[in-house]
Amino acid sequence: MSAQKPTVFEHEHAGPPSVAASTTIFLALAGLTAMALLVGFLELGALKVWVSLAIALVQAAVVGVFSMDLKQSDKLTWLVVAASIFWTFLLFLFTLTDFLTRHYFAF
Amino acid sequence: MATSNAHATEGGTPPIVAHHFNNLRQQQSSVRFGMWLFLVTEVLFFAGVICAYTCYRILYPIEFEAASTALNPLIAGINSFLLLTSSFTMSLAIRAAYNGNQPGLKMWLAVTILLGTAFLGFKAREYYVDFEEGLIPSAKTAIVSDHDSHSVLDAHKTLSLFGQKLEHVLKEKKYYKEHPEKLKEVDFDRARLFFVFYYSMTGLHVVHMIVGIGLLVWQLVLANLGFFRPQERYVYVEVLGLYWHFVEVVWIFLLPLLYMAGHHHADHLHL
Repeated sequence: MSAQKPTVFEHEHAGPPSVAASTTIFLALAGLTAMALLVGFLELGALKVWVSLAIALVQAAVVGVFSMDLKQSDKLTWLVVAASIFWTFLLFLFTLTDFLTRHYFAF
Repeated sequence: MATSNAHATEGGTPPIVAHHFNNLRQQQSSVRFGMWLFLVTEVLFFAGVICAYTCYRILYPIEFEAASTALNPLIAGINSFLLLTSSFTMSLAIRAAYNGNQPGLKMWLAVTILLGTAFLGFKAREYYVDFEEGLIPSAKTAIVSDHDSHSVLDAHKTLSLFGQKLEHVLKEKKYYKEHPEKLKEVDFDRARLFFVFYYSMTGLHVVHMIVGIGLLVWQLVLANLGFFRPQERYVYVEVLGLYWHFVEVVWIFLLPLLYMAGHHHADHLHL
């Protein structure tokens, strides 16, 4: 088997996050969750949903990159994650541009 | 961690590296990649319902904010921390499996199961309270007196039973006590849509939690049978961890979209 060319799946993997790293990630996420809950009790008007979603996106990025260990994943995994974000973007883009502009032409 | 070829069968147990892989590293990466591909389908699955929610949230912002105010922010907060802690204990279980720490693996898997079950317990409590308050988006209607009407002909109006119940719940909330005029702006029949999303989105999340807990129990049984004694098999705990973390990510978005969209106050904190 050693004669075969190494594939994309054969790069070095340093193992899952250490206990210290997991603890740090947990504390960071706990802080962000507390912030998300606090924002929920504030009257920020239309800004509230954007602030809440910004916190949620940071939380999701922390979970993805550190807890799910994307930071040491290979390029193919990153490509898969990027593709899922791109397709989600397309889903929102085409649905919202259709659904939210229909009433402009309703006569 | 050994990365050599381990295709040989030892003592009648299945080989660690399956025959169609070049080596252990390739097999472990393939296992991880398989789970990532599955998670992509899950992302698009949840994105569909969140996209539909977004459309209606943009169309009916007042109704969605009012309906969200009727939800329980204390249970949502407790559940957020329970799920977050369970993600942490899942990471500790993965690390224990990687280090060959069998008692640690069993303990952290059991703690993760416990925290996940506690989440479901609080969720059941929340659904029970919603049911008791009548916050079920049914199509049943009832004729009620319209005290604001100046005409005898319009003295009655037809409202959904759900709308009446929601109005009753919101009248008790501090924000609507201070701003009763805001309650008049709410179309309670439209607010039903929010609860359709609330039950479908949290329901789908609960289904994923139940599947996750089932898989955790299965891995705990395997750990007790010594399946993870060859440390190379830690990757199976790791991919279950990927799934569990994904369930956490879904909740991260459900919290602001469903629970924190309303006008909450410290007075609303009760179990």
